[in-house]
Amino acid sequence: MPDGLPNKTLIDLLERAGRHPEGGIRFLDRAERDRWVGWAEIRERAKGVCGGLRELGIGRGERVALVFPTGLEFFEALFGILLAGAVPVPLYPPVRLGRLDEYFRRTARMLEISGARLVLADARVRRILGEAIAAARPPLGCRTVDEVRRTQDLNISEAVRVEPSDLGLVQFSSGTTVEPKPVALSHRALVSQVRAINGCWQDTDGRRQSGVSWLPLYHDMGLIGCVFGALDRDIPLTLLGPELFVARPALWLRAISRWQGTISPAPNFAYALCLTRISDAEMEGVDLSSWHTALNGAEAVSLPVLRAFCERFARWGFRPEALTPVYGLSEAALAVTFSDLAVPFRSVRVEREALAREGLALEAEEGREIVSVGRPLPGFELEIRNEEGRVLPPGRVGRIWIQGPSLMEGYLDAPEATARALRDGWLDTGDLGFLRGGELYLTGRAKDVVILRGRNHAPEEIERSLEDVPGVRTGCAVAVSWLPEDADGERLVLLVEEARNASSQQLEALPEACREAVLVAVGLAVDEVVVLEPGTLPRTSSGKLRRQEALRLWLAGELQPPEPVTALRMAGAMARSGLAYARYRWSRNG
Amino acid sequence: MIDSVILEGIAQVAQKHLGWRGPLTADMRLVEDLRLDSVRLLTLAAEVENRFRVLLDEADELAIETVGDLVAIVRRKLGA
Repeated sequence: MPDGLPNKTLIDLLERAGRHPEGGIRFLDRAERDRWVGWAEIRERAKGVCGGLRELGIGRGERVALVFPTGLEFFEALFGILLAGAVPVPLYPPVRLGRLDEYFRRTARMLEISGARLVLADARVRRILGEAIAAARPPLGCRTVDEVRRTQDLNISEAVRVEPSDLGLVQFSSGTTVEPKPVALSHRALVSQVRAINGCWQDTDGRRQSGVSWLPLYHDMGLIGCVFGALDRDIPLTLLGPELFVARPALWLRAISRWQGTISPAPNFAYALCLTRISDAEMEGVDLSSWHTALNGAEAVSLPVLRAFCERFARWGFRPEALTPVYGLSEAALAVTFSDLAVPFRSVRVEREALAREGLALEAEEGREIVSVGRPLPGFELEIRNEEGRVLPPGRVGRIWIQGPSLMEGYLDAPEATARALRDGWLDTGDLGFLRGGELYLTGRAKDVVILRGRNHAPEEIERSLEDVPGVRTGCAVAVSWLPEDADGERLVLLVEEARNASSQQLEALPEACREAVLVAVGLAVDEVVVLEPGTLPRTSSGKLRRQEALRLWLAGELQPPEPVTALRMAGAMARSGLAYARYRWSRNG
Repeated sequence: MIDSVILEGIAQVAQKHLGWRGPLTADMRLVEDLRLDSVRLLTLAAEVENRFRVLLDEADELAIETVGDLVAIVRRKLGA
């Protein structure tokens, strides 16, 4: 793509793909049976849905939510909505055997925030959704694709004119009842993102690209990266549902082998799950040598997992250079940086103390090892800035700001949140990292979000579930996640202040009670509960909890109950900072 | 199939796929007592289906809170 942004919409991509018979989607079921559906058929089916939506009065720019498992109906609904000039809002279906109260609240909240006029859902999901629909009351209710579809008057779809600047997708970056973040993406941003990614892999004489994905279709990596990517090029895409992957991870690798997959992305946890839940017997006859791009993103990348995955699956032809750590976020429509596709992943070891205390990345043999997530994609720029907005030199940790052709328009109907994130055409990612040799290394987060298994969670939601736990000081608990060096994924930690009047019995039961409360309310397993004396957690001057600071102090072993400020204490603090400076100077010279 | 046999099968699934150690009783709740997060709940559902060769549907799953609920649904599915 030369200078200038693509003047295309997703509808243009669908029209183009519909004329090329080699493009389409292969759906796999739990018995590994496949069903191929070409883009031409998807387009025809979507036209039927579009006709029905227009008959219902859905117009250009209006939002329609869709809740489907992975399958053909999702695509009929998605492209039907787009053909009608409306904006799809994909939401996730309920988790199997999961508690539904929280799901209902969250779904209702997302429906309200997105302003969806109508919900399209799978017949089975609709039976369950009732309570969320009743609470959110979308004006046109909840309907199935079969109910909406019209077979006559297909031309009705041709009349809708959509511009590249129109919204093409509303993607929730984290599903939450507290502060949902509906990321509004234009057609232009989506097409730009897809072009930037697709530019990374070309067909050659010897290799035809082929995608395989089990990622949820309500997730940016699954929808934008895999589906829209395949739509833009004639890359056949093989899909299996996320519930099938989690139930039997071998299905993913077997699909790559059987359909000669060349590109298949997943979050870190998926690679870890393969290590523990795939037996050698399930891998019989599997050949992973076609898989040249195993993207790893959407959550922190664990080096032990990367190494163990290479080692374990080399027997079946997996090549280490395939593993490709990447970085991105919904607010940029997905990818921002890619590491080198043709070489094995790279890492650097940096001095722990200088990194933690001064935000300095100094190479050290025994230091903390951090993986490179690569360089910005063509068309993207990246800067590391300090809290005052000044650009920092390489080797200094700061906030990652990005600029590029696929940034969001903003958070839907949330000008204040948008103004905090977007400034002068740059996006504050809220992530922390440093540059070295032009490559990005992630060190943590400044923003308050818990990222587990590729999904973002608002800490407020986890903390709220602790409110009724006996012995917890009201409003004095924080939920944070971080990636320990030797771990296979991020760890969820609760830092909880005990109530002043807590009984010894309550205190004893506190960790277990907190774990249970979080599991029941949000379905997340807590890795560690740290009980603190009242007043220990750091706060802002206005009294808000400082989660990332609390995590930093805890990791540094400095999370202490407050003491009155005295002259002696001040002197101690000054001496400590002097010592840290001396250490820094010493390590630089040494 | 009688309940105790189904319960034993579920216990084996929990041991093999969820790393559950210790006895499994019908009154245990999946989330609070077995400590299953969403990924592990999904694993349990899928592995129980594999083990007993039944298909649970969403309406059934809504009513499942305890191991005993799961046993009852599996029994009903096997009888159907």
